[in-house]
Amino acid sequence: MLERYLWFPHDVSTFGPKIDNLFLVIFWLVMVVWIGTMVTFVVFLFKYRTRPGRKAEYLEGSNTLEVIWTSATVVIFLVLAIASRSTWAEIKEGGPPGDVFNIVTAKQFNWEMTYPGPDGKLGTKDDVTIENELHVPVNKVVRIDLTSKDVIHSFYLPNLRLRQDAVPGRTIHIWFEATETGQYEIPCSQLCGFGHSGMQGNMTVESEADYAKWLKDQYAQSH
Amino acid sequence: MAPGVKVSSAKVRPFVAPARRHRTTGDSGSGGDHHERPFISNGMLAILALIGTEAMFFAGLLGSFLVFRLSAPFWPPPALPRLPITVTWVNTFVLMSSAVTMGLAVRAVHQNRQRRMRRFLLATGGLGVTFLAVQGVEWIRLIAHGLKLSSGAYGGTFYTLIGCHAAHVTAAVIWLACVIVAAMRGRYNARNPGGVELCAAYWYFVCAIWPVLFVMVYLM
Amino acid sequence: MSSSAAAAAHGAHTEHHEIGFVRTYIFSTDHKMIARQFLFMALFMMSIGGLMAMLMRLDLAWPDTQFSFLSIFPSFIQSDNAIVPNTYNSMFTMHATIMIFFVVMPILAGSFGNFLIPLMIGARDMAFPLLNMLSFWVGGVAAVIMIASFFVPGGPAAAGWTSYAPLSAVPVYSGVDWGQNLWCISLIVLGVSSLMGSINYITTIINMRTKGMTYFRMPLVIWSLFITAILLLLALPVLTAALSLLLFDRMAGTHFFLPGGGGEPLLWQHLFWFFGHPEVYIMILPGMGVTSELIATFSRKPIFGYRSMAYAMISIAFLSWIVWGHHMFVSGMDPRLGASFMITTMMIGVPSAIKTFNWLGTLYKGNIHYTSPMLHALSFVSMFVIGGLSGVWMACTPVDMYIHDTYFIVAHIHYVLFGGSLFAVFGGVIYWYPKMFGRMMNETLGKVHFWLTFVAFNCTFFPMHILGMGGHMRRIYNPDQYDFLKPLHGINVFISISAFVLGAVQFLFLINLIYSYFYGEKASDNPWHANTLEWTTPSPPPHGNWPGPVPEVYRGPYEYSSPEVEEDYLPQSRRLDHAAVAAD
Ligand code: HEA
Ligand code: HEA
Ligand code: CUA
Ligand SMILES: [Cu+2]
Repeated sequence: MLERYLWFPHDVSTFGPKIDNLFLVIFWLVMVVWIGTMVTFVVFLFKYRTRPGRKAEYLEGSNTLEVIWTSATVVIFLVLAIASRSTWAEIKEGGPPGDVFNIVTAKQFNWEMTYPGPDGKLGTKDDVTIENELHVPVNKVVRIDLTSKDVIHSFYLPNLRLRQDAVPGRTIHIWFEATETGQYEIPCSQLCGFGHSGMQGNMTVESEADYAKWLKDQYAQSH
Repeated sequence: MAPGVKVSSAKVRPFVAPARRHRTTGDSGSGGDHHERPFISNGMLAILALIGTEAMFFAGLLGSFLVFRLSAPFWPPPALPRLPITVTWVNTFVLMSSAVTMGLAVRAVHQNRQRRMRRFLLATGGLGVTFLAVQGVEWIRLIAHGLKLSSGAYGGTFYTLIGCHAAHVTAAVIWLACVIVAAMRGRYNARNPGGVELCAAYWYFVCAIWPVLFVMVYLM
Repeated sequence: MSSSAAAAAHGAHTEHHEIGFVRTYIFSTDHKMIARQFLFMALFMMSIGGLMAMLMRLDLAWPDTQFSFLSIFPSFIQSDNAIVPNTYNSMFTMHATIMIFFVVMPILAGSFGNFLIPLMIGARDMAFPLLNMLSFWVGGVAAVIMIASFFVPGGPAAAGWTSYAPLSAVPVYSGVDWGQNLWCISLIVLGVSSLMGSINYITTIINMRTKGMTYFRMPLVIWSLFITAILLLLALPVLTAALSLLLFDRMAGTHFFLPGGGGEPLLWQHLFWFFGHPEVYIMILPGMGVTSELIATFSRKPIFGYRSMAYAMISIAFLSWIVWGHHMFVSGMDPRLGASFMITTMMIGVPSAIKTFNWLGTLYKGNIHYTSPMLHALSFVSMFVIGGLSGVWMACTPVDMYIHDTYFIVAHIHYVLFGGSLFAVFGGVIYWYPKMFGRMMNETLGKVHFWLTFVAFNCTFFPMHILGMGGHMRRIYNPDQYDFLKPLHGINVFISISAFVLGAVQFLFLINLIYSYFYGEKASDNPWHANTLEWTTPSPPPHGNWPGPVPEVYRGPYEYSSPEVEEDYLPQSRRLDHAAVAAD
């Protein structure tokens, strides 16, 4: 929804709107604070500009004011932190059970996408591995085990508002649910060497039937 | 007698700067003209600051060590040799006693007892050198047994942590050597103990972090 | 007392005449000369860091394009007249490294720290003048090593100023060999330099304040430098430790940051940011201090809430140790940890809020003089607010998951570091220039430089927020490789053009510096009618800082427009009879 007026890429994930909302909440909060501060600022700058024979008023401060704006900011920040907490927990801690499972392995400078073969299980020898092509069924929870072979890369899906570094030596679980069919880019967003710029894959979100068919073809070609 | 009075005061707050020690403590005396003698001398402040930095440096290394230590399935890794515990116990005792002798030396200088001070300074230096020597020998044996800097996080952290500490002890010994030479020339006395105190402060620090390293790296 | 002092000062004079050129200008132990040396070194490095930025902008607007004039640059910058990926990577790496470690820190801590601390607390020099001189020359060596890394085979470091391992830990991953090693070594050496500096600052401030200069009579800039020194003292050794481990990984075959052999890639990030976040406050605190001086002086009004200003800086210093995780929200660190770092990060906004509002309070009912230093101080406030507020988005973990490593971050960086620190630098240099060099800087030229910089700066960096929202990643040399970034191309062009203007107008500042040095109008002792001690001595101050005895202090530093006196300022050292009674 932000793409309409804030340059955001079109959002096609289930938690995307929550993130965009938080962005918007902070946007308005910041606008209020910023405009408030800047208007006072400019008014003071104009009102109290030096004029001949004028002397400033000798004020050393006001503890009441200090207390007010300190506690005000504390409250604002705490509320904001608590508001963000739940979304973060939903995206990063747990999340819904998966329908489709993949392994994504980053390496200089490609994404290796591994799909389960006919046996429907990952880590068996009938797995299908394709470079830079991620196909997922629409409206299904996709769970990905993310890892890297060499340096740190970052698995970035702008259209799903999802980003997670791929760290060599560990496997990180991420999930998402795409809500619209289409083609989306998977840039790498962590500096990973001279090939970092241009390291990208494609994500195809398609109907479950197309997905199944596509996977079968891939299996046929690779085995 | 007069120095006797000094002793007590020095015992209470060894860091208080007695009269006229600016020259030795590096205070160029170029501060505000009319300003009272500082509570802690410039030199001592500098050493304390230095110790603060060093502490953070070791904190960084120890933190990293803990990360490896706690994430490792086996520690030490099966293939690699164990660290020499008993010898190091003895060595720890050596280093700790050097802190005591150093303390006695500082006390002696406050009491203006020159020969006693020199003797304890020499003893401290001797103990420090012994500590280093023992460690050198142990290192040679460990390397012979195949524990190298490059053998995993185990070897890596061992040599970096213990090596850094050894480097600090070496530095402290060198400094102490200079102090001893100066002491032989009768540079220090109850009114002017700065040089000894500063060296001692650093020496205490070097001794103080060793038990931490010993427990974490050898015993844990 | 005073006679002996006069004698001492006289001695200082004769000494001043006796010591030769080398001891006066090159291996000087006079804190004022060392301050100038730091300033010149930093300005020189700034031209290099800025040049890097210009080339980056050139490439980002017209990627993979050949520009014949690029041929004047050696091969570590261009290959067949175009900027290629690996040279681009080394460019933003060196750009950031130079700007942070060799421009902002040397000017704020090195130059201002050295020049102001003794003069403002009433000391004749630093506690350890020799150590002070060493601190500069060791820093110089670090700079030389950093520059040298441009010329080694394989080119300079190219892993970002954050040098994330394993990319930085294994030469084959980045294709950079000695460049990265020299990068580490240079920063280790710089650590030694700043250690010497901070030892000096801390000792001098604690032990060498003149009579009557209590802690809560110190100018806020001294407070800020004091806190900065402590942060430097405690933060840099952590970086040194990390860099040593990194060097071992690169050169001694250890596996500290490599998954094989029980290493841990994320450890580097934890160590780096544990240093890195205090570091960013090291770069803003002195700026805040300078701003407080300028705003109070030119509003002719006491700083609003002096004590809460000091306490705010102290709490920033404490909080800065527990927020480092906000750089690692998507690094694979435990999400629950991320959540707690979000809270601490937001909390650190509170002291900054206090400072902002107190600056506003200082302007309130003031008598504001729009001199060029004041203009810079005011833009510090407004730009820092923008930079700080963008930090709120990034502190919010779910939002950061989207904008992390995008130009939103780059915008933040530059609003706080250029809009903040660098504007404070400009303001501070113009303000203390008369004391440093004995002449005023040209006011008109100063104003022209300010307005052009201010406009060009915002045109350059504000649109970067938009790029960030569009998902435009950092550290990519060719945005046009991505379909979803193609629509943003126009913005990139606009940014680059503004950036060229921004870079060009900096020469006005340079010209002003040089011109005023020779032709600027002679400065009186106290051209700004300020209260603090440095204005009680001739400009430039003699060796030993005060020809006569060091002045005593009877009141706080911000007694502007005090009802006690006719004129609108009341120097800390002026003795009013009842005040004298109060002092004793
Ligand atoms: C001078 C340097 C400086 C300063 C002062 C700050 C200040 C802050 N920074 Fe910044 N930061 C950097 C330099 C700095 N930063 C750099 C260089 C990076 C990038 C490193 C890299 O990756 O290369 C970075 C990155 C960075 C990140 C990581 C982003 C990412 O990589 O994903 C985050 C995340 O939380 C962050 C947050 C903050 C916050 C919350 C503040 C706060 O201190 C700001 C507080 C100020 C205000 C909030 C404004 C004034 C207050 C008010 C007007 C009161 C009212 C306000 C409210 C009620 C909202 N910074
Ligand atoms: C103090 C810090 C500082 C300063 C001042 C600047 C200044 C500038 N920066 Fe910098 N920048 C960073 C700190 C800074 N930057 C950091 C930390 C990063 C992150 C790096 C990373 O990702 O690892 C970064 C990254 C960064 C990027 C992102 C690169 C990428 O991620 O792909 C860009 C892109 O536009 C950029 C542009 C600029 C520009 C146009 C300026 C302009 O303001 C420059 C203007 C030009 C000058 C100021 C020089 C001219 C000066 C003179 C002519 C006088 C000098 C005197 C003599 C000649 C003797 N910077
Ligand atoms: Cu892979 Cu950047
Ligand atoms: Cu930070």
